[in-house]
Amino acid sequence: MKKFFLALIVFVLYFPILFLAFYSFNSAGNMTSFEGFTLEYYRNVLTDDRLMSIIFNTLSIALISSSIATIFGLSGALMLYLIRSKHMRSTYLSINNILIVSPDVIIGSSFLILFMYLGIQLGFMSVLLSHIAFSIPIATLMILPKLYEMNDEMINAAIDLGASKLDVLTKIVLPNIKPGLIAAFLMSLTYSLDDFAVSFFVTGNGFSVLSVEIYSMARKGITMEINAISTLIFVIVMILIAVYYMVTQRGRKEVQS
Amino acid sequence: MKQLIQWIVIPIIIGILCLFVSNQLSQTESVDGKVLYVYNWGEYIDPELIDQFEEEYGYKVILETFDSNEAMLAKVKNGGTHYDVAVPSEYMIEMMKEEDLLVPINYEQIPNIKHIEDEFLDLSFDRNNEYSVPYFWGTVGILYHPERTKSIDFSSWESLYDERLKNEVLLVDGPRESLGFALNLNGYSLNSKEDQQLDKAYDSLLDLTPNIRGIVGDEINTMMTQNEAKAAVVWSGMARDIMWENEALDYIVPEEGSNLWFDNFVIPKTAQNTKGAHEFINFLLDPEISAQNTEWVGYATPNEAAKALLDKEVSEDERFYPSDQMKEKLEVYENLGEAYTNKYSELYLKFKINLN
Repeated sequence: MKKFFLALIVFVLYFPILFLAFYSFNSAGNMTSFEGFTLEYYRNVLTDDRLMSIIFNTLSIALISSSIATIFGLSGALMLYLIRSKHMRSTYLSINNILIVSPDVIIGSSFLILFMYLGIQLGFMSVLLSHIAFSIPIATLMILPKLYEMNDEMINAAIDLGASKLDVLTKIVLPNIKPGLIAAFLMSLTYSLDDFAVSFFVTGNGFSVLSVEIYSMARKGITMEINAISTLIFVIVMILIAVYYMVTQRGRKEVQS
Repeated sequence: MKQLIQWIVIPIIIGILCLFVSNQLSQTESVDGKVLYVYNWGEYIDPELIDQFEEEYGYKVILETFDSNEAMLAKVKNGGTHYDVAVPSEYMIEMMKEEDLLVPINYEQIPNIKHIEDEFLDLSFDRNNEYSVPYFWGTVGILYHPERTKSIDFSSWESLYDERLKNEVLLVDGPRESLGFALNLNGYSLNSKEDQQLDKAYDSLLDLTPNIRGIVGDEINTMMTQNEAKAAVVWSGMARDIMWENEALDYIVPEEGSNLWFDNFVIPKTAQNTKGAHEFINFLLDPEISAQNTEWVGYATPNEAAKALLDKEVSEDERFYPSDQMKEKLEVYENLGEAYTNKYSELYLKFKINLN
């Protein structure tokens, strides 16, 4: 019974994606009946320079913004951890959380207004800055619990033994919260890849990301090219997760042996 | 620590590499960095023509896409972008004109304007085509499944009320489209500004309730392709697309009259390359180019010379190129002014609320 339930959940979660991936190979070019196997749509995507350039833009924004957001998130989390006053800490934490729950549309439009006010041209920089900004609260929230899980005694012991502050940070704190940092990075990456509302407002001058592009393509109905892109991205994400899993598994074994 | 720095640095390096690759991909031969920014609807221009334009004129064209007139307006109005050519629909052109967002077109640089049919020029939304050049046009009509709606004659809006269509009609989510056909049904203008006529139209719309399957946006495309409904009120361009996907469907513009819509080129005030913009517009008005583009996009072209180059099967298809007699009954949306724009939206909202 338990197994059946689990299987059902996995099925419900993955069916839409598999359905879409299945029809990306359909030579009939629609999602109603399967006619024959074709790679035409993949070829179309891979040979479309404009689309490929947008895919690379998206990846580039996601990777750079999530790295930077992780650094900022780390400093944010450390600060929250070091604040002694409970009241202050919860105030800051709430401020951080408000940004996570506030609608993307509002964040996006306020970024647009801000950039216009500051005279920043829309393009790579505007997208990067806004993606970093909305990823920071998430990164902070992913790292913070790991800091609290850490054993305080270790820090005290290190200080007693004469470690400098930098040593404490790099040799004790950072290795301890590494899973949190990786999680923060991956979450920011997902948020950035996934984001439509904010990107919609801040893309411009020839710089676009996939979500915005797919949205305007979909106006004319879901073409099989969209299926092909989605499948490609899904596969890439699967591979990344597999690699991540393998890396962490190896790390665990090293620790055990 | 070292490892952690690697974790941060490696993604950034890969990110920068991606950016580099992306730049390489979008790089085409451009003479002394001449760039042209084009802002168009998704899938609304043949990509081959862009390549051809780049080759012939030495520009690098950067194409960006939008999905609604309002989205386009938001980007253009707030500045920060400098699109050289955009393609809004007629009512949006009027709005942009009023907000002083457009540059007048210099027809000395667009000799190919002579190919455009006279009837598509000098229309109410832009007299003398001071700010806009026609790109594509179309109508609003009924897309239906002839086999599954046997013996229903769709040549009148009345047909939508047929009992056999219970829960089978889809509407596009637009106040002017929906109230428009209700007004036409009652024999009024779809730009009506008379409260009594509007109330009547509202009542007619309400009468349709039992037959309405849903009021949807672009999902109509998928729903009709997959035969989830028997009839839908849609734009001709959308109908054309769907009919390519699902050949069993047919499209008709009811004889009481309907809407005639346009998508036109404009040059926003923020444009930095007006010369290139004119060249681009002129290029796309060239008969052969326009014919090729029309084949790719599938909407109706206002370009007479291009139309002559099209397959007879396409250019004589009265569903998409209505006869002159039919055209007389078609109306272009006029700007209703704020009061009536609100009135339309209000009535439409009321209708949608009463739907359930």
